[in-house]
Amino acid sequence: MSLARATRLVARREFSERIRSRAFQISLAVTVLVVVAVGVIAGLVGDDGPQEYTVGAVGSGAQVVAAAAHESGRAVDVRIEVEDQPNAASARAGVRDESLDAALVGDSIVSLRDPPAELVQLLQQSSRLVRTEQALQREGLSGAERRRALQQPPLRSVSLESEDEGGEGVAFVASLVLYLQLIMYGIAVASGVVEEKASRVIEVLLATVQPRAILAGKILGIGALGLLQLAVTAVVGLAAAAASGAIELEGGDVGTLVVVLVWFLFGYLLWSALYAIAGVMVSRQEDLQSSTTVLTILLVIGYLLAFPAIDDPDGALAVVASLIPLFAPIIMPLRVALNAASPLEIAASLVFLIGGIALLVPLGARIYERSVLRMGKPMRLREAWRAARA
Amino acid sequence: MLELVDVSRRYGQTVALDGLSLRAEEGKLLGFVGPNGAGKTTAMRIALGVLEPDGGEVRWQGHPVRREEQRGFGYMPEERGLYPKMRADRQLRYLAELHGCPPAEAAAAVTAWTERLGLGELSERPVEELSLGNQQRVQLAAALLHDPRLLILDEPFSGLDPIGTEVMSEVLRERAALGVAVVFSSHQLELVERLCDDVAIVNRGRIVAAGAVEELRSERSRPRLRVQVDANGDWLSGVPGATLVSSANGEVLVEMDDGADDQLVLDAARRVGRVRRFEPARPTLAELFREVVER
Repeated sequence: MSLARATRLVARREFSERIRSRAFQISLAVTVLVVVAVGVIAGLVGDDGPQEYTVGAVGSGAQVVAAAAHESGRAVDVRIEVEDQPNAASARAGVRDESLDAALVGDSIVSLRDPPAELVQLLQQSSRLVRTEQALQREGLSGAERRRALQQPPLRSVSLESEDEGGEGVAFVASLVLYLQLIMYGIAVASGVVEEKASRVIEVLLATVQPRAILAGKILGIGALGLLQLAVTAVVGLAAAAASGAIELEGGDVGTLVVVLVWFLFGYLLWSALYAIAGVMVSRQEDLQSSTTVLTILLVIGYLLAFPAIDDPDGALAVVASLIPLFAPIIMPLRVALNAASPLEIAASLVFLIGGIALLVPLGARIYERSVLRMGKPMRLREAWRAARA
Repeated sequence: MLELVDVSRRYGQTVALDGLSLRAEEGKLLGFVGPNGAGKTTAMRIALGVLEPDGGEVRWQGHPVRREEQRGFGYMPEERGLYPKMRADRQLRYLAELHGCPPAEAAAAVTAWTERLGLGELSERPVEELSLGNQQRVQLAAALLHDPRLLILDEPFSGLDPIGTEVMSEVLRERAALGVAVVFSSHQLELVERLCDDVAIVNRGRIVAAGAVEELRSERSRPRLRVQVDANGDWLSGVPGATLVSSANGEVLVEMDDGADDQLVLDAARRVGRVRRFEPARPTLAELFREVVER
């Protein structure tokens, strides 16, 4: 049987047995729930919906200003209810018992404590507008002339660096999910290797197919599952975040999603080779913990690097970490999400990552082939290395 | 025909195989016996290509075996190997497909063999939920599914109850009758003697005796006679070339020198009483084994 066909059969078994397993279904459900929760909470915290204020107005002048404020508030998602008040005393009473957020009395804004900045700004702006219009009317301008003079287009907003909160949220969630996925699926590879050694299925398999097909099929089958889980998580997470208003889905987010999937794919290939080595060095699941410790620590470091990298995505630390193949799968996607990575850096990160894979996967395969029948006490790294070179 | 020619293999300082040569013919059952650590499992793994020999050669049908051919052999390892959490029928289908069976054929073979081995609906359970005997049946099915020309089984009888032993013996005999070369190792020498056409005895990585079971038993050691006569007392002394080995309940085991005339023993026996039994007594495989291994 060809290597490709054997690999496909092995991969299919890994995928279909695992997707059926309760463990996978629970882990997928939990991840999706967490991501949905994060998205919804971000939406609730980040945006309370339209702000509402109730403003009392005393006298026709104040009422005109308040009505104008109501109009301009609509444009910026602030609702201003106007309550006409018979006199200054009733307006003050309303402010005091907090049925009114503020009151316009003559030329002053009355409030209980420091009034909300956006409300003050809207009222001031409306007051200026009303007075300007009255001034223009006094100068003899017609209604149409006054409107032309007053309705000037607003300034366009051009941001040189996108620093919106949504970007940081996406970056944070992306690095967390990537870290979790790499560690989860890396360990799945290692324990899958050990499972076959411990149950001795490996001997039956080795009598049937090439060792490379067993390893390649295992990595690809588990990887396909990882990719599926990541895609489901990402799509559901983004949808939840968009629905709750935490982020607005734009082309950039889809780009980030693609970057996350691509870097996960390559990062997983790199890390799975390392985890396969850690797995093949032991014969019992109990020994797996100690043989994977170093890898787990390295992944945790990668994840911890994400925090300074989100703070300062252009900083030297973030740039270097996003180029090191071991950390790139966690750091580069977040820099892309924050629009901090240049095309050159993205390309370099990918090239280094693929270079790392080209180096580590054949090494992992070789160690695997030479060590997979070794039973008994855990191998030392030096023994595994010697076996690979022999 | 499978041949191992002068195969050697070391693990570090330990010599596992030291120029072992062996042949297994199609249509025959070869019993592979030897003390623990003699190199049986290593030899089998090398025949299957699971291990590489340091020296020597594995030949199949007269030519150096190809990897692809080795992957077509059927194998039942000593340490049974199945995925504990995977349904038995699913993993059998998987293993059959790994052996190159098209999916439909694989499914049919799984149904046929699980029925034949009496697993029935048990095969829909995860292997870890099956009894050890039934796990062993699944393991046997795994070796047979793709209808191999060569079957190599490492201790297939260990841990089987009498019924399991009967089923296993039947299946192996039937395979051999269908022209399959069957090699199995065992410590149950009586069973090997009963079941096998050929036997190979391995000790310290070398074959110390090999051939047809019948031939080995008659070739090896000096000829013996079993005589049953209605008489007590020593009637044998004085017969030239005959030595008493044992005597119990009127049955006497006699060892003859080369060239001595066994008819003289019969004459002596008839002189003292009625002779109920007079036959050549060939050593059992167990006796033979002790003889060649302890030498």
